[in-house]
Amino acid sequence: MPCERKPMRYGHSEGHTEVCFDDTGRFIVTCGNDGDVRIWESLDDDDPKFITVGEKAYSLALKNGKLVTASSNNTVQIHTFPDGDPDGILTRFTTNATHVAFNSIGSRVAAGSSDFMVKVVEVSDSSQQKTLRGHEAPVLSVTFDPKDDFLASASCDGSVVVWNIEEQTQVISWPLLQKSNDVTNAKSLCRLAWQPGMGKFLAVPVETKVHLYERGSWDHVSTLSDDLLAQPINVVSWSPCERFLAAGCVGGLLTVWDVNSKLCVERQKHEKDFTVCSLAWHPSGSHIAYTDTEGCLGLLDGLGTSTADNNRTKQVAAKNPAKDYDDLFDDDDDRLMDEGLSDTKSPAKKAVGWDDDDDDFLVPATGRVKNRGAFLDDENSLDTGSLKLGQDKLGDDDNDAGSSVAPAAAPVVPLRPVYEGPVPTPPQKAFQPGSTPAHLTHRFMMWNSVGIVRGYNDEQDNAIDVEFHDTAVHHAMHLTNSLGHTVADLSQEAVLLACPSTEELASKLQCLHFSSWDTNKEWMVDLPKGEDVRALCLGQGWAAVATSTLMIRLFSIGGVQRELFSLPGPVVCMAGHGEQLLVVYHRATGFDGEQALGVQLLQLSRKRRQLISGEPLPLSQKSYLSWLGFTAQGTPCYVDSDGVVRMLNRSLGNTWTPVCNTRETCKSKSDHYWVVGVHENPQQLRCIPCKGSRYPPTLPRPAVAILPFKLPLCQTTTEKGQMEEQFWRSVLFHDHYSFLSSSGYEIDEDAQNQSQKEQQELLMKMFALSCKLEREFRCVELAEMMTQNVVTLAIRYASRSRRMALAQRLSEIALEKSNQMQEEEQEEQEEEPEYSSTRRSSGYGHTDVTAGGRYSRRQNQQEEQEDEEERGEELMEEEDRQEMEPEEATETKKRVNPFAKEAGSPIKPSPTPIGKMGRANPFKVPGSGKMSASSGQPRVTNILDNMTSSKKSAQLSSSGGKPSKSPILKPLAPKPKTKTQSTLLQMAATKTANKKVQENTEQAANLQKQPDTPPPGPPADNSENKRPKTGFQLWLEENRKSILANNPDLEETDVIKEAMGRFRTLSAEERLSWTERAKGQSGDAADLKKRKRAEGGEGLESENEKAEADESSAKKKSSLDPSSKLSVFAFNQN
Amino acid sequence: MDASEVEFLAEKEMVKIIPNFSLDKVFLIGGDLGPFNPGLPIDVPVWLALNLKQRQKCRIIPPEWMDVEKLEEMRDLERKEDMFTPVPSPYYMELTKLLLNHASDNIPKADEIRTLVKDIWDTRIAKLRLSADSFISQQEAYAKLDNLTLMEINTIRAFLLDTLNCMYKLRSNLQ
Repeated sequence: MPCERKPMRYGHSEGHTEVCFDDTGRFIVTCGNDGDVRIWESLDDDDPKFITVGEKAYSLALKNGKLVTASSNNTVQIHTFPDGDPDGILTRFTTNATHVAFNSIGSRVAAGSSDFMVKVVEVSDSSQQKTLRGHEAPVLSVTFDPKDDFLASASCDGSVVVWNIEEQTQVISWPLLQKSNDVTNAKSLCRLAWQPGMGKFLAVPVETKVHLYERGSWDHVSTLSDDLLAQPINVVSWSPCERFLAAGCVGGLLTVWDVNSKLCVERQKHEKDFTVCSLAWHPSGSHIAYTDTEGCLGLLDGLGTSTADNNRTKQVAAKNPAKDYDDLFDDDDDRLMDEGLSDTKSPAKKAVGWDDDDDDFLVPATGRVKNRGAFLDDENSLDTGSLKLGQDKLGDDDNDAGSSVAPAAAPVVPLRPVYEGPVPTPPQKAFQPGSTPAHLTHRFMMWNSVGIVRGYNDEQDNAIDVEFHDTAVHHAMHLTNSLGHTVADLSQEAVLLACPSTEELASKLQCLHFSSWDTNKEWMVDLPKGEDVRALCLGQGWAAVATSTLMIRLFSIGGVQRELFSLPGPVVCMAGHGEQLLVVYHRATGFDGEQALGVQLLQLSRKRRQLISGEPLPLSQKSYLSWLGFTAQGTPCYVDSDGVVRMLNRSLGNTWTPVCNTRETCKSKSDHYWVVGVHENPQQLRCIPCKGSRYPPTLPRPAVAILPFKLPLCQTTTEKGQMEEQFWRSVLFHDHYSFLSSSGYEIDEDAQNQSQKEQQELLMKMFALSCKLEREFRCVELAEMMTQNVVTLAIRYASRSRRMALAQRLSEIALEKSNQMQEEEQEEQEEEPEYSSTRRSSGYGHTDVTAGGRYSRRQNQQEEQEDEEERGEELMEEEDRQEMEPEEATETKKRVNPFAKEAGSPIKPSPTPIGKMGRANPFKVPGSGKMSASSGQPRVTNILDNMTSSKKSAQLSSSGGKPSKSPILKPLAPKPKTKTQSTLLQMAATKTANKKVQENTEQAANLQKQPDTPPPGPPADNSENKRPKTGFQLWLEENRKSILANNPDLEETDVIKEAMGRFRTLSAEERLSWTERAKGQSGDAADLKKRKRAEGGEGLESENEKAEADESSAKKKSSLDPSSKLSVFAFNQN
Repeated sequence: MDASEVEFLAEKEMVKIIPNFSLDKVFLIGGDLGPFNPGLPIDVPVWLALNLKQRQKCRIIPPEWMDVEKLEEMRDLERKEDMFTPVPSPYYMELTKLLLNHASDNIPKADEIRTLVKDIWDTRIAKLRLSADSFISQQEAYAKLDNLTLMEINTIRAFLLDTLNCMYKLRSNLQ
């Protein structure tokens, strides 16, 4: 019989505690040593209603809206339920009463007392008392016979006595218990229980067993026991279905027996082994509430369904007892049962117009069932479990049968509502965000980023304290609250207070405008009659008040009445910040625990407009709004009762994004965080941890804690998930910059740039990660989010990690991006006048992250680009170093590894890719035309050439070395040379022997040209190939013929090989002279090249390049930072 | 070593305050402090906390152990055990004195705390004397005492060392 034991929660201060359910089962009612009766809506109810009944409450009983308690002032009192109004004293004893109990119909109360007496009192007329004398020690417990004839009591004298109530005589007395002198010394509370319904059995806990005595014959018919029970049983209770008996023991063990089979069907241990001193079945029989002697309240859930299961499995076992029961039924019983039950009928049932029927079906039900087989049993009890009353009404006999076959059905069934559809949720009341409930005597009326408003409302004092976090704003204030203000708000300028209307006085609005420069620091406004303030808020220079007439009235902070407008529904709360007003109201009636809230966001600046016009406010399931406000930067956000913080995402069409779940950080289920403020920069959620409640107490003064934000992205335990979360959080939390700048506020550009850097960095990291994981498609997706500059880095990274296909795609993206940027630029220029503000950054509304990012970048592109590249480079370098290591190991000394060189000098702040390109620039002369000696020199003009050649080589390497002459693509982002280098170097390494390092690179470079040389190149190639040549090339030109003459059958590549060999055999002087000659030619080559570019004339691009080329030819050897070059390039292009 | 020197060392301990002013980061030799946000708790050294408190610029949040229940527990344990029990802070005495003297309005049940800490202190000093006594009377060469705080060592050092020197002289004269 699986059932769930809910965690215990604090109910009362430590000591004897009792629990019961109200008739409908909606509330759990407890009383305890602190003298309070608490009314819990559920176990999770953090703010239960309470009724104070005395200094201590020893026992309670509840029936028909009457709450009877035994309190420490020796009386038995009645209170109304659930209102808790005192309804007189039922009876008095000379000492305190120990146990009170109602009879089954609620007309009488029995009370046992420490003065050895038991009294039976009519609830309607407390003068009609019957006193049962005979016990010789304090009475432990009392219980009524369901038919009201008898009463059983247990006493510390060791006896359990059955009394005849009318005759006030003892019917029988059993000496069962151990003697003691007082209730507190008794080993067991010995709470007796009489089986409900026809009252066949009286259950008496005796030590570790439960004795069942039969009514009438008073024979001890059976004993329920369990092997695990080692300590005395304190309390027993029958399930409403009369079939199960629950017992709670001193050691904290909870046991449920099936009385028919005498089997133990459920055992649960109290989580801390405290003594269970009271337990009560829910009227539906589905769960048991219990309390312990430490004042804690617990719940066993899931009994209802399991009993049904049990029935099914024990069909056979249940057969015989069921028949016995049938015989016991008589008309009397039925009448009694129906009477008792009709009292507890829920109003919902009546609404369906059903009340006439239920008596009808219940009475015949018992008769009809007598001859029905027990195998209906199963079906019936299932029905009781699933609340199918509608079928009963239709006269389904089988279902009716349930009431008698399993007696469980009868008492349970009528308690259930007939209406099965969704139940409307009571709309949540209006509240001030950052305030604690109004019924508290000491409470926070407002806690926000400015300060704290506290309200005291006790016997001595009715006052309001205003305190500012920053004493520079204003000194603390103490106001007497003669008007009875209940709502307050606080801003840097003023305190706004409002009170509800009374019979004589209208609802008032009071404003303490402390920042006013004149002498009048206060104003007050009366609302029209019949209009009550529900919520209010302060903005910058204005105040807003929502009233009970579904209206919002705006005031200036000096007290001038301004606009007013109607709300579509009753207000829930409001918040103001700067010129924004956020209103949440009831849009409609919610169902099944949900609230249907709508939200409006208004801009009250010179240009008034509504930003959000009454859209539904998304809340967690079955939760309500618990805080509403703005971040310090002015983004609306709110918290629901499930602790989920949501923030407005302006860049996603004003949607709400959950940014934090405060409940995740709570240690216990009943702990909460009370949010007081949200900051976007730094990312802080300021809140007050509340242990075991939703609200903090005013004393001791609570301290603010800071929670981090966390977007609920998937798989945040993985590196990928983490970075994604960080990235999107960064994007979301820096979205306010665009809003602020578009509405004309000053923004902290440094911080903004910082955030964009951070985002790009994260993108780059994600890119690198995806690269490692061989997710190239994902890489491209990421690259699409990057700014153009970062894409160039990504390209470089991709090429270094030899992902040519990826690099190529990326370069397309880079091209696209630059085009896009250009277009946007133009659009913006056109659009610019439309914006009221002339700020350049007005274009931030772009939904595209990268667009926004890129745009801003433009402002300080030059500086930023540089250091960004640096960072990216370092990042890549690091990874490269790792990747290169194995290669280096095999190829050390054979060649110069350009990366190794770089890696060896990481001190260099900005590694110059130009240098790299210059060092190995193998594709420079695809046609192998005229040679120049200076090819080994870094040249700025090479940037674009390299791009084309690297492109080629990319194709080469991917398409199995086939030379292809596709039209030359010129991506705007210059492609770093590194890609080709790495591949080529490998090839070179296999060929070159151990030679001087410098030479080697040169030669290697030259070798590369060979495979790349397509003999039938288009004519354009010739001019393109006119580049400076190396000494070797010159030498080769001269000696080619002789080589060919010697070895006529050589292939082109073999010729080069041969030539290489020969060149090496030359003496150092000779080689030098060749190199000199090559240098002499280089000037011409550069000129040629320029000319060619000019002819090619691709608009701006080539012009730029020409400029660059000119510049570079002037200082050829200086290795310029390519990025700065690029930035010039990019900038001009715009 | 002087008691005031020990107290000086104790002033380097961090304590939480809630400032009521706003200030950017301050850069000090010992490390950066801040930024200070009004209403937001922040850790600062005791010396700064006391200074700010005296200028009514902050509210001090007492350390977690400075709580009547916890101290009662500690006191009982200290009384029960023969050995020294671990103390919540190596400067518990100094901090209690400093904070209670200057910020008793921010510490709930300040008087009770003062009494409790004094109780703990007295118990420990008594133990210390007792162990010093048995150390000398049994003429041991060395003794090991765990969980002593600097202030406690300091109170007994001058006296114990002088005494031992003196006794040494007396004993060597005897021989």
